[in-house]
Amino acid sequence: MKKQMNKVLRQTEFWVFLIIIFLALIIQARSGAFFANNNIVDIMRSMICPSLYAVCALLAFVSTGPDVSFPLVAALSSYLAITISIKINYDGPWFVVYLIGMFFGALMGALNGFIIVKYKFPSLIVTLGTSSLFSGILLGTFEAARMDLPATLQRFAELSLLTVKNEKTGLGSTLPMTFLILVAVYIAAYLVLNYTMVGRGVYAIGGDEISAERAGFNVKKIRFGIFVVNGMIASIAGLCYAVMSMRYLPNEYAGGEMVVIAAIILGGTRMTGGIGTLKGCILGTLLLTMVTNSLILVGISVYWQKVFIGAIIIIGTAIPAIQSIFGKNKGKKVKGGEAA
Amino acid sequence: MENILSVKGIKKSFGGVHALKGVDLTIRKGETHCLAGENGCGKSTIIKVISGFYKPDGGTIEVDGRDYPVMTPADAIKAGVQVIYQDFSIFPNLTVIENLAFNQVLANGKKFVNKKEFRKIAEEAVAKINFNVDMDALVETLPVADKQLIAISRALLDNAKLIIMDEPTTALTKKEVKRLFEIIADLKKNGITILFVSHKLDEVFEISDSITILRSGENVISCPASEMTEEKFAYYMTGRHFDNQELADNKKRTYGEEVLSVENLSAPGFEDISFKLHKGEILGVTGQLGSGRTELSLSLFGLNRPTAGRIMVEGKEAKLTDVSKAEELGIALVPEDRLTEGLFLPQSIIKNITVTRFDALAGRLGFIREDSLVEESAKWVKELGVATKNHEFPVQTLSGGNQQKVVLAKWLANNPKILILNGPTVGVDIGAKYDIHKLLHKLAADGMAIIVVSDDTAEVIATCDSAIVMHDGRITGILEKEDLTEAKLAEAAI
Repeated sequence: MKKQMNKVLRQTEFWVFLIIIFLALIIQARSGAFFANNNIVDIMRSMICPSLYAVCALLAFVSTGPDVSFPLVAALSSYLAITISIKINYDGPWFVVYLIGMFFGALMGALNGFIIVKYKFPSLIVTLGTSSLFSGILLGTFEAARMDLPATLQRFAELSLLTVKNEKTGLGSTLPMTFLILVAVYIAAYLVLNYTMVGRGVYAIGGDEISAERAGFNVKKIRFGIFVVNGMIASIAGLCYAVMSMRYLPNEYAGGEMVVIAAIILGGTRMTGGIGTLKGCILGTLLLTMVTNSLILVGISVYWQKVFIGAIIIIGTAIPAIQSIFGKNKGKKVKGGEAA
Repeated sequence: MENILSVKGIKKSFGGVHALKGVDLTIRKGETHCLAGENGCGKSTIIKVISGFYKPDGGTIEVDGRDYPVMTPADAIKAGVQVIYQDFSIFPNLTVIENLAFNQVLANGKKFVNKKEFRKIAEEAVAKINFNVDMDALVETLPVADKQLIAISRALLDNAKLIIMDEPTTALTKKEVKRLFEIIADLKKNGITILFVSHKLDEVFEISDSITILRSGENVISCPASEMTEEKFAYYMTGRHFDNQELADNKKRTYGEEVLSVENLSAPGFEDISFKLHKGEILGVTGQLGSGRTELSLSLFGLNRPTAGRIMVEGKEAKLTDVSKAEELGIALVPEDRLTEGLFLPQSIIKNITVTRFDALAGRLGFIREDSLVEESAKWVKELGVATKNHEFPVQTLSGGNQQKVVLAKWLANNPKILILNGPTVGVDIGAKYDIHKLLHKLAADGMAIIVVSDDTAEVIATCDSAIVMHDGRITGILEKEDLTEAKLAEAAI
């Protein structure tokens, strides 16, 4: 029992969870509006895209290293999916548009994966480079501009999963269907990561590449696969963003990567690889979304939000460092005791 | 008895460099066979050939009576050959269960995770060597010895007949080595053959039934361990003759005036230590891990602040509060872990040797003159016999012994009065070790006062004029030259 308790205490996720509760209570106490139904739905809604990106960032960090290309993969692949659907006057089921997007996302991810696996270049440099490339193609070659969605996506966008209305303030909020996509992606990712050997391979590679190879994991295939999957998830996120905005906005994608990476690091993902959970992704994203969404309820200005986000990131990333120092000291004591 | 492994005439070259020039290795079933040789003799290459990771350019491989014209890693495992690598091939970020179960699950071609099956496999594995460990712990939280036991029990799962252990004792404490040897003895009882790769004399003699020695990719000798002596072993490994006794006897006991006097010194890690050190004297400080020997050496270099007592350098009380004070007084410390504490591994040999001399070698405006650095470093490389073709090479390209020589050069370049060496030859091969011991004698003859902190009793005997033995932070014995024997040192350490 005590052992289990210790284990929980050592998990970063647990501490992030505590911070979330604490912050929620403070906001509730100050504004009385945090636990209002429309605020909760708002937060859930705002979490959809960052949480999808977080899976990309998690897979890349755990197995290889940072991937910063997902916002641009999202932008370019959803542009292509939407443009093609409009050009051919497509009006079938909405998810076919997603499949087209995922196809292009997979291609872009494959480019990342190919360069990283084949030439062993650091993933940060490669994905920075391809980000630039994708951005050039999107805004230069295609001269992408704002545009309306194809009719099928428009209809999908107008569906809602849940609509609430705050009795006191009269403010309403809607949870879009894209929330179900998020849930589906997380369930799939959870099952693959925990219950398939390929999923365990993602962690094994991050722990020790050479050991993984000796154990019989196909390191190159898994790594390449991760970037392809990342491309597909990014394209899903990109289309979800367009659906939730009711139009395609090419300039709104770039720059989203840093907050997402910060969120998963907060959630306990280790920058050096091998460690990180989906639970951590959700918690980290939730915490940052709460700060951006709800601090305004307490009357903190938008500019100060950034200060808060910065502070939370620094404190959050310091937790594992403090834990490891604490852990080391404990180790030393044991050793000394043995020698004496 | 039959042979479990018989390889003949194995050749392997890498880009024109002949790593193996026709090596034979025959291991009988059920024995513990030692494969020895200096760094770069081809030990690791032959292991990789046997385990299927390298394809040899020539020669035959026969495992358990069966010929393998082509050996792949999967073939090797099927044939019962398992390698315990120096890094143990583990996943620090995963649990003990997963570390133990992965190989087998993957080998069976399973695509999905069955947690019950994982646990069963893991429990079966640890049961084979009666290894008690928290199955759900992350491996990175375990001590080195446990990581090794994980690797061993995992190897046993695959019905290993031949276990190859690549320098298994490198990172272990003495106690852990003892436990490992017990396990090896148990495995042997169960009919498992061990190929033990090592260059440590005492271990080789303790554990092995027979010995094969390689030198620069060729067989030197294969014989039963009983026919091997320490002198022969060292000779076969290096092709040079060493005589430690002679080395010890040759050391002249000529002291100059007193340079260091430690009086009732206490600090975290040790208590009430007193001794004196003279010019030209080599003093040994020995004791087991945790005896306080390392802490004492740190205190003398300003890295572990004393709580009581005093340190006198050349008759004046010295307040050694930080390293620069110690350096001003002419004290130098060659640290225990040369890789993390003593060297800038990716930097060139030149820069490493001259780093403590930058001030002295700088020109009038404080700019460093490149040519003076080159000159200084060339002098030391020559003096200490560092084996390298190019002084611009990063230090990490050198062997352990040569790295240690660079660390020495770095401190000697400052011309210290008192030189403290902590574990001066840990992880260094036998030839370089002898060179370093000879160098210490020469430095002492030139008037340097030297403290050798070491748990290697043979080293203390070969180099020191006298020795203090520590246990649990206190001095438990002071031995003069004539009393420096293995037996007396061991007696004093308890």
